[in-house]
Amino acid sequence: MFGLNKIIPVEPKINFLGLRRNFLIFSILAMLISIVLLSIKGLNLGIDFKGGTLIEVSTKNTSIGELREILSSSYSDVSLQEFGNENIILIRLQNKSNQESIETVNSVKNLIQDKVVEFRRSEFVGPTISSELLFRGFQAVSFALIAILIYIWLRFEWQFGFGAVVALTHDVLFTLGLLSVLNVEFSLATIAAILTIAGYSINDTVVIFDRVRENLRKYKKLELVDLFNLSVNNTLSRTIMTSLTTLLALVSLFIFGGEVIRPFALTMIIGVIIGTYSSVFIAVPTLLIFKFRPQDEDD
Amino acid sequence: MKNYPIWKSFTVISLVLLGIIFAIPSIIYDENSENWFLKNKINLGLDLQGGSYLLLEVQLDVLYKEELDNFVDSVRLISRDQAVKIEKIDIQENEVVVFFANKEKIKDIRDSFFQMYRGVSLQISNNRLSIKLNDEYRKIIQDSAIKQSLEIVRKRIDESGTKEPLIQRSGKKRILLQLPGVKDPERIKDLLGKTAKLTFHIVDNDNTSALQNNLAPFGKIIVPDMYDENTKYLLDKRAVVGGENLVDAKGSFDQTEGHAVSFRFDTEGAQKFGKVTTNNIGKNLAVVLDGVVITAPRISSAITGGSGIITGNFNAQEASDLAVLLRAGALPAPLEIVEERSVGAGLGADSIAAGQIAAIIGMVLVCVFMILIYGTFGALANVSLIVNLFIIISLLGTIGATLTLPGIAGIVLTIGMAVDANVLIFERIKEESLKQTKVFQIVKNGFDRAMSTILDANITTLIAAVLLFAFGSGPIRGFSITLSLGVIASMFTALMLTNFLVYMYLSFANKKELKL
Repeated sequence: MFGLNKIIPVEPKINFLGLRRNFLIFSILAMLISIVLLSIKGLNLGIDFKGGTLIEVSTKNTSIGELREILSSSYSDVSLQEFGNENIILIRLQNKSNQESIETVNSVKNLIQDKVVEFRRSEFVGPTISSELLFRGFQAVSFALIAILIYIWLRFEWQFGFGAVVALTHDVLFTLGLLSVLNVEFSLATIAAILTIAGYSINDTVVIFDRVRENLRKYKKLELVDLFNLSVNNTLSRTIMTSLTTLLALVSLFIFGGEVIRPFALTMIIGVIIGTYSSVFIAVPTLLIFKFRPQDEDD
Repeated sequence: MKNYPIWKSFTVISLVLLGIIFAIPSIIYDENSENWFLKNKINLGLDLQGGSYLLLEVQLDVLYKEELDNFVDSVRLISRDQAVKIEKIDIQENEVVVFFANKEKIKDIRDSFFQMYRGVSLQISNNRLSIKLNDEYRKIIQDSAIKQSLEIVRKRIDESGTKEPLIQRSGKKRILLQLPGVKDPERIKDLLGKTAKLTFHIVDNDNTSALQNNLAPFGKIIVPDMYDENTKYLLDKRAVVGGENLVDAKGSFDQTEGHAVSFRFDTEGAQKFGKVTTNNIGKNLAVVLDGVVITAPRISSAITGGSGIITGNFNAQEASDLAVLLRAGALPAPLEIVEERSVGAGLGADSIAAGQIAAIIGMVLVCVFMILIYGTFGALANVSLIVNLFIIISLLGTIGATLTLPGIAGIVLTIGMAVDANVLIFERIKEESLKQTKVFQIVKNGFDRAMSTILDANITTLIAAVLLFAFGSGPIRGFSITLSLGVIASMFTALMLTNFLVYMYLSFANKKELKL
């Protein structure tokens, strides 16, 4: 009908692996910078993992400055932030104990009662719970990565599993590094996003690996670099199409899905881009370390 | 309809129809419908319909300490009966060590003690008896405390007028509450935060030096006033009667005293109360709630009717809340709120609206994009995508899953990812079309070749989603549910429905060649 798919040729011949050294250097640098950032600046932990109290209010005839003035006279560690529009304000407090928090919420509510139209949300996470949530999140990510790898190992040769680990580690580190730079809040939803990114990136990698395996059987004589290039090119339009439709949905979620879900959507957008990049430029070149055919071993 | 078996068409069409029909209850969404069919709708999570999620922790340490105190009291009583002198009692974190003046009757004391507290570890060495709270004994205390706490929390929540609360044990020592539609979470937290242990004690007004030195003699305790910490009372440690003997309590109003709580004792309580008030006319009787004295009126005459009122500086709400607490009974140990997530109905409605807009716009963008790229085939994939959405909704409704805000995000994400299987198939068809000209053979090969890739690719996403469900909590589980259902539904719609639609299209359009 419209036939816009002709833009991407059916058998493109782009030399993806030719520039592999440049991309490898870029990715190693990105990972190193991410590690440094994570250890120095760290992540912007939300109350899920840091503990504390969060109150969202919609206000009338007041300003964030006025509310800050009212509250900071009673609390030294209060922080306020506009959330979506100027009438909706997030109030965050750090509490030391569980008991204290209940009293805090009550007194904060009393202090600003007459400025507030609605208390939209109040959340409190105690110190024991926040450390438990962090541990469970860590557990979930580790187990998911291990399970995915076991699956890849069972379905493919172990060399592919190695390529997938490298790509996954890259994706998770790189995404976390960008979250740190952009100061995106790290919450339970972020853990969900990272796991989904892991699933998505592997999904992308698997599709290309599938083709590599098929081509290994089909073209017994082709040089490995050329064979890998061919496989990436074979799957290129699918890689681009799926990333684009996923990104379309995510951008819609980011713009229209509301303030609460925005950090989640942003994390996913970052992850999908990185995951797509890594499947082509990291996972596949990693396979070059290995010799897949008996005749290659004679070289 | 070349090569397309009738049974297959029948299966596809009926599954699609089922998917659409069972999505109806969730789309109509009649909250109060009792209709057997319309009841199968999606449950909205607390973050979408508004309400409170609370996680409470039973303070077991308090109970263990109380039990150690009980041990001490009982050992004292037993050794008094046996006429054995106690030299020293050592209370440690987990055990009580009693040093006796002589060791003759120590075995008898041990046996009597064991009669009272079966299951504790008792050890004798020389003149020492050590009583240990072992793990099994702790577990008995723990289980019964959680069971009692659950029951009392349930009563209190019921009395507060919350509809359809979910109250359940979570882990070893926690209680999880989901309270839909709660408008004032602070009041609920107040109700749950009080142990509500009510006891009546005779006040000792004679021993003024004890109060001055802040040192209670044996058998007495010093308790502060509820409204003024500096006012203290010296009371008999032994309670005359307690809240467990109450059969009713309600908020009342008295012309002279203001708001008050009137109560009634059961027969046993009434007898005890009557006896004590008869014998102690002229003395004061303190009403103690959770370690503070609410009021300590003078007993002017014997109260034998078994009922009375408690006055304090209450307002109407406080009086009626205290009555709720007294009716529900005392918690065995204090509860601490360790996590709270309360969402107002306004935010919940905003989230639903935003999620719907995001889903619709995402859907339109993806559909337009698919048509631009694949033309008619893209339109067929879009039909699959829309059916996919219906299937997710109907599955959520029929299994009674809870839709949360991250769940909506999962659906929107699925919209983007669900076309992947179609894309894989179409790209294979495109490749095949270069190799041969037989239209149906091209399509058949395209689907066959794409199959194993589709399975591999989707199983990895499913693994991530299932582990997220296993380790995630609350709203995040909602995300993993919609994501898993979306992935499963997308495999069905791509491999069966798109397949069916493509065959139908090619048969009816009578295509002789295929250009994608």
